[in-house]
Amino acid sequence: MMDELVRFSDAKAGYWRFVRLRRLIRYVVVLLFATYVYWTIWYLNIPVERIWGMPGRVATMIAGRMFPPDFEYALTGTVFMSILETIEMSLLGTVFGVIIAVPVSWFAAWNVTPSRAVCYPLGRAVLVFSRAIPAIIWAMILVVILGFGPMAGTITLILLTLSFAGKLMSEQIEAIDMGPVEAIRATGAGEIKIFFYAVLPQVKAAWIGIIIYSWDSTFRASTILGFVGAGGLGLYIRSTTQLLDYQRTTGIILVVIAMVVASEILSHFARQRIR
Amino acid sequence: MALVEIGGLKKTYPTGERALRGIDLTVESGEMVAVLGLSGSGKSTLLRCINRLVEPTEGEVILDGVRVTSLDKRGLRKVRQHMGMIFQEYNLVDRLSVLENVLSGCLGSASTWRAVLRAFPKVDIDRAMEFCHRVGILEHIRKRADQLSGGQRQRVGIARALMQQPKILLVDEPTSSLDMKIGVEVMELMCTIAEERHIPMLVSMHDLDMATRFSKRIVGLHLGRIVFDSPTAEVDRATMHRIYDGAADE
Amino acid sequence: MNSADLTESDAPHDRPPARPDGNPLRPRGVIAWLYARNAAFATVVVLLAVHVFVFQTDWSRTSGIGEMARTAAWFLPDLAYFPSILIALFETALIAFWGTAIGMAVAIPIAVLAARNVTPFGLVSYWSGRVIIVLSRSVHELVFALIFVSALGLGALPGIFALAVRSIGFMAKTTAEAIENVEIGPLEAIEATGAKRIAVILFAVLPQVFPIFVGNVIFQFDINLRRAAILGMVGAGGIGLIFAEQIMVLAYDRAGTVVLGVVLMVLLGEFVSNRLREWLL
Repeated sequence: MMDELVRFSDAKAGYWRFVRLRRLIRYVVVLLFATYVYWTIWYLNIPVERIWGMPGRVATMIAGRMFPPDFEYALTGTVFMSILETIEMSLLGTVFGVIIAVPVSWFAAWNVTPSRAVCYPLGRAVLVFSRAIPAIIWAMILVVILGFGPMAGTITLILLTLSFAGKLMSEQIEAIDMGPVEAIRATGAGEIKIFFYAVLPQVKAAWIGIIIYSWDSTFRASTILGFVGAGGLGLYIRSTTQLLDYQRTTGIILVVIAMVVASEILSHFARQRIR
Repeated sequence: MALVEIGGLKKTYPTGERALRGIDLTVESGEMVAVLGLSGSGKSTLLRCINRLVEPTEGEVILDGVRVTSLDKRGLRKVRQHMGMIFQEYNLVDRLSVLENVLSGCLGSASTWRAVLRAFPKVDIDRAMEFCHRVGILEHIRKRADQLSGGQRQRVGIARALMQQPKILLVDEPTSSLDMKIGVEVMELMCTIAEERHIPMLVSMHDLDMATRFSKRIVGLHLGRIVFDSPTAEVDRATMHRIYDGAADE
Repeated sequence: MNSADLTESDAPHDRPPARPDGNPLRPRGVIAWLYARNAAFATVVVLLAVHVFVFQTDWSRTSGIGEMARTAAWFLPDLAYFPSILIALFETALIAFWGTAIGMAVAIPIAVLAARNVTPFGLVSYWSGRVIIVLSRSVHELVFALIFVSALGLGALPGIFALAVRSIGFMAKTTAEAIENVEIGPLEAIEATGAKRIAVILFAVLPQVFPIFVGNVIFQFDINLRRAAILGMVGAGGIGLIFAEQIMVLAYDRAGTVVLGVVLMVLLGEFVSNRLREWLL
């Protein structure tokens, strides 16, 4: 009986020590974090006093200058054409991006890449490089090289699709069952045949999902590339903002939202059909 | 006055399934009642209707003079604080420690801030540790709940229910997910503690031997109706048939 | 061998796909329809491609591949310029961090709103949550940055808020999905003790979705590093401003340096993220 009581109070004491230690660590972390907050405010010159008024100011700005949205403008001639151009760009970007992504993801898959010395680093480099550079920066570079217009935008979207879908597709390949691969290899087939007969059938289903997912992402990006002159609606977001025609800007933004939502609904249905 | 009075309790699920077809039951203070029945007889539904985890379609439940079935949300919460429930699948929060799981028993009376910071008052923590000691899991209190065995987890469940200092324990097939031997140990533990503290228990199960061994009163359920309700001593072969074959109805 | 053969042939070694129209025993009519559909699609694509690449491009300006290659070469980085952009890169990383942190904090309540099983006010709160998520994901961070710059002036703060608002969408969406998939048992148990709804959520729901949430936050940080790099273009802090400036003054080699800096920053960020993910999960 005494034994038990001693054991119990030992356990209690042990637990409270643990709790105290944990509380101490928590206080230290909170303190460090608070210091970090203060330091950031100082370092980045954050105007803390403006934060309080921000919601009010944003609300005033939105209600006063951005509403009611000017939809008419968004649906007039040139702007409407740019809507079509946006869709065009994303379609082409996705299609060609996927076409290129197929071999690239194959190269970048460690388990079935045709050459671990050459193809693998190449594939990986392409994927990493296209992913590490933000889409808008790609767009600006391509506008310099190729001039204004949807070509720069389309190639940017190809790169975007490549980076997004390519990585996921490559991961799918790396997750396949190697059995069929070995079997086909054993028949003396070349790498390409191995890819088409052993790899592709296994990843096809997952790839279709990835392509749909990537389309969503590409479509969203296409709406803004025009901001830097790469074709599509983004151009008008920029022009209306610079001219302070905020009501027109809102009109365009709302059109963009509608397009994105429509695209998402389409993707959703496409995904259901795949099941 | 009986502690729990159930009158005309009915439950029809949206799918059309009539789980309870009119239950009348009373539980006295300090009683241990075993609710016996096959799967689908309505045992779980009955227990869950008492604390309204499942909303009864008709009928009333009165706990200690309070009409549970007509309480609003706030009133229901208050009443639930005094009803401890032990689940077949333990229903612990896996990622939290054993002690935190036991402490979650007094969340009913905890302020929102306490819940956010997971900072319980020392008094509660000490009480929780005592219960952990009583059910025999003291050495595991710092471990994550999913690191424990089934029997240990159910003990945590028991300790959690005890934290509420309940007026009644609703126990839903406590040993169905456990090995026979462990199950018996857990039942013994539960019944001993309940007797010590004079807490009445309503325990659902499908094993007659278990029921005979641990309870003084057995209520048989078949297809949503009570087919018998008698002291354990009077239960015999005939009554058994009533549960398993439902000779008394349909 | 073209891809049409591969997906629709009844070659014996091809595994029949799950879709109903992949049945190797289907009638000729269906095969013809599939070929027609694919051909139509391919035609549309080719036509659009021609439209874009041939008609919509100002070939007088670009005049051929050789010229393009030469222009591309201008972007080769001027390494001597690199040290001057380090500070801006650091600032960019800070903006990304804080944008993610604030976004993460706000995403939790929004995720609770947008989860069918725990949303506190029924359809109203559910749809409010979902609408916020859609808005956050449909509007580009540059637009948010423009709005915040108007309200807060130039600097890093509008950038941080723009990223925060942008990050809410993804994090809340995935967390809401995780919440909708939690085990209901622990929820029942905590509810049965008479706890308030918020206590149920904090104690039974959030611990279950914690691993997914943390994974998403780390993932989102990676994405935000890239986004932060361009916000400067509209005055919201970070290296974007420098990049835009260098392009404007035709200092393409310095712009290339900036790109290099961004790539290194992103790669470093991914390295740190992976380590963090391993350590935490």
